[in-house]
Amino acid sequence: MASSSVSSRLLGQIPLVTLLVLCAATALMTDRFLSPVNLNNILVQSSIMAVIAIGMTFVIIGGGFDLSVGSTAALAGCVSAMVMLEAGIGAGVVAGVLVGALVGLVNGLVIAYLRVNPFITTLGTMVLVRGVVFLITGGAPVEGDDGLPSAFVGFGSARILGLHALVWVPIVLLVVLSWVMHATPFGRHIYATGGGREAAYLSGVPVARITASTYVICGALAGVAGVMLAARLQSGQPTAGEFYELTAIAAVVLGGAALHGGEGTLYKSVIGVFIMIVLGNSLNLLNVDSYWQRVAIGVVIIAAAAADSLRSKR
Amino acid sequence: MSLSVGPEPRNISSPTAGVREAVRIRALSKSFGATQALDQVDFTVAVGEIHAVVGENGAGKSTLIRILSGIHQADSGSIEVAGQTVQFSSPRAAIASGIVTIPQELRMVPALSIAENLMLGSLPMRRRFGMVPGIDRSRMNAEAREQLAHLNLDVDVRKPIRALSFAEQQLVAIAKALRRQCSVFILDEPTAALESREIDRLFSVLARMKAAGTAIIYISHRLDEIVSLADRCTVLRDGRVVTVSERGQFSIGDLIEAMTGRAATHEDSAARPHGPELLAEQTAQTPISLRAGQTLGIAGLLGSGADLKVRGLFGAGPEPATVRRADGVTVRLGQPGDAIAQGIGLVPGTRSLGLVMNQSVRDNILLPNLFQIGSVFRIDRSRADALVDEMMDLMDIRPRRPEVRVGSLSGGNQQKVILAKWLARRVSILLLDEPTHGIDIAAKMHVHALIRRFTHQGGGVLVSSSDLGELARLCDSVLAMRERQIVGRVERADGMNEARLRAALERTR
Repeated sequence: MASSSVSSRLLGQIPLVTLLVLCAATALMTDRFLSPVNLNNILVQSSIMAVIAIGMTFVIIGGGFDLSVGSTAALAGCVSAMVMLEAGIGAGVVAGVLVGALVGLVNGLVIAYLRVNPFITTLGTMVLVRGVVFLITGGAPVEGDDGLPSAFVGFGSARILGLHALVWVPIVLLVVLSWVMHATPFGRHIYATGGGREAAYLSGVPVARITASTYVICGALAGVAGVMLAARLQSGQPTAGEFYELTAIAAVVLGGAALHGGEGTLYKSVIGVFIMIVLGNSLNLLNVDSYWQRVAIGVVIIAAAAADSLRSKR
Repeated sequence: MSLSVGPEPRNISSPTAGVREAVRIRALSKSFGATQALDQVDFTVAVGEIHAVVGENGAGKSTLIRILSGIHQADSGSIEVAGQTVQFSSPRAAIASGIVTIPQELRMVPALSIAENLMLGSLPMRRRFGMVPGIDRSRMNAEAREQLAHLNLDVDVRKPIRALSFAEQQLVAIAKALRRQCSVFILDEPTAALESREIDRLFSVLARMKAAGTAIIYISHRLDEIVSLADRCTVLRDGRVVTVSERGQFSIGDLIEAMTGRAATHEDSAARPHGPELLAEQTAQTPISLRAGQTLGIAGLLGSGADLKVRGLFGAGPEPATVRRADGVTVRLGQPGDAIAQGIGLVPGTRSLGLVMNQSVRDNILLPNLFQIGSVFRIDRSRADALVDEMMDLMDIRPRRPEVRVGSLSGGNQQKVILAKWLARRVSILLLDEPTHGIDIAAKMHVHALIRRFTHQGGGVLVSSSDLGELARLCDSVLAMRERQIVGRVERADGMNEARLRAALERTR
């Protein structure tokens, strides 16, 4: 028993070890990796993806799946930019997050109450939302005549306590939401719903409401990511966020969450995000052909899923 | 195709003539992590013998079957089939050696026809127009019909398998095994879901197979069956063989003693006066009323609707239930949360419905109690720990480690965790569906004792079970249920025993 708990604890640290090995190997192969500019770049890229991955982790722990986050981030970015140009920064940020939550609510209601397969539902909203983005923007970036408000754009490049302002968003979210996951009835209900939906239902857990709320959280966080993206790109970009859903899902799996639900940890998903971003960054620095980069990332995703499957067999 | 029921006895006569052993296992050991599941087990089954294997849960029965059917591989020891040493690397290898297992849960493909299910794995093929290969449906159906006729099962083999009852599907599984010319036949709890006449039919099939020379390994918790059916009986305890006895040399009491390591005792619940009515169903045609201190049983076999009745009262049925509480207020139970709020707990018939298997014992005990030990915003850790410790002591859940995944516990301990969930919630009514199905005798006794203690303290219990002996020992009154109707009622005051319950159940309306 003792040996198995030690080995499972070691297995639990695989994501972190992978990340450290990846960083060390890249640092040895190219000195540009550890340059402040590059590290800063990795942190900022990771911060936006981390916000999406945290939301995705909620959905996956709850036993679901969300393909619509990339489109939702683009919609949130564009809506946020449009509202901001009319009504100011505060209203713009709130609108972006709310529109994300609204997409999540639609996903959640359809999946939890109509019992439509989450893969199909969110595949549908992924395409639908992207269509809406193009409809409301006409396909052009949303930046107004004089650009977005300078205070908002400034946030995209400002620093707080030496760290890029955007990096603080996932840090704060991670602290607050990890506490929600582990220390509140709501969090434990999400784990129970994903781990055994019928058992949770027969224990009095309102499973439909819990499932729906995981999608609302995921959508809202995709909205937050969309607003961050708008701040960084200094505009609402209708084409932004493409393939974010795949990177986020891959990161969550790399972080050790079980795709069948009920297992996963928010911070490990963030480590998964770092693995994905650092991998892309190091392949870039090593001048690996971008086509080969895709191949490499695909292999990593499948390897992570295979590791998940091997672990659950033990 | 031979017309005999059993296989031709192939290569069974070993070089040493007179040794008519179909399977000989020597010093078989298997461990999972630190758990020694089988420890130097010797076991033989002769040709034409029915050899029962009994033991409590965790005694090693399942591991033994799984090694014999190629699912697990032994750590050490040897297996000989018909005198030849074999090693099964996969279930396919075991079947190729003539060992076929009928599992407790039949693996049928519901959408395929009876004939297709029977012939799956070796469907007769023919080439259309001399080239395109396809299934030869007429030959398939004819062969399937012939196989089933041997077992006196006369059905339209083109119908989907789901049209058959469990007992009939089991016969199809047996026919499928016979078609594979098996020499060793393993049945795992085959009668758990059968009515008495279906059990009789199964036993007559087994008798014919035995007469044809098939060796049969028979696993069951129903000791009465084993006493009447088995030629020999091996008792396992803690992965070791405790005794092997011949027919006529063992009784049910002997078996229980060998399985548990102590003498068997049965305590009967004495009739006690009941308290006030706790719950009265308002909607159903045959409403259920439950009093404080009462244990009410519903006797019914699989598919009788007894389990649905229990689920329905928990607000988990297709229709909401309406009940009158002790204080006379009528409440509607539309979902389990409503019933829990009224102080009702459910122990479902399938343990995976009662527990979130990949979570810890602690998480499972706390699941319905999260709001009681904290608020919406916070779970009070110290109160949670205290509650979990109290419950694990009260229920004697082993190992006493709350962080262990509940899926890794034995069936009996899992059932105790489900009960602990509700006792932690201080419910006044427990609804139990097959509370001791598939758990060992010691755990069964413990669960019964817990139920008695619960009613002594003024709780009301509604228990549905297909184990009539259990109901006869446990209940103050029992309703007999058949085809979703209550067809009889037996009271303890009028004398309650298994035979009376069976009679009530099989009486035609």
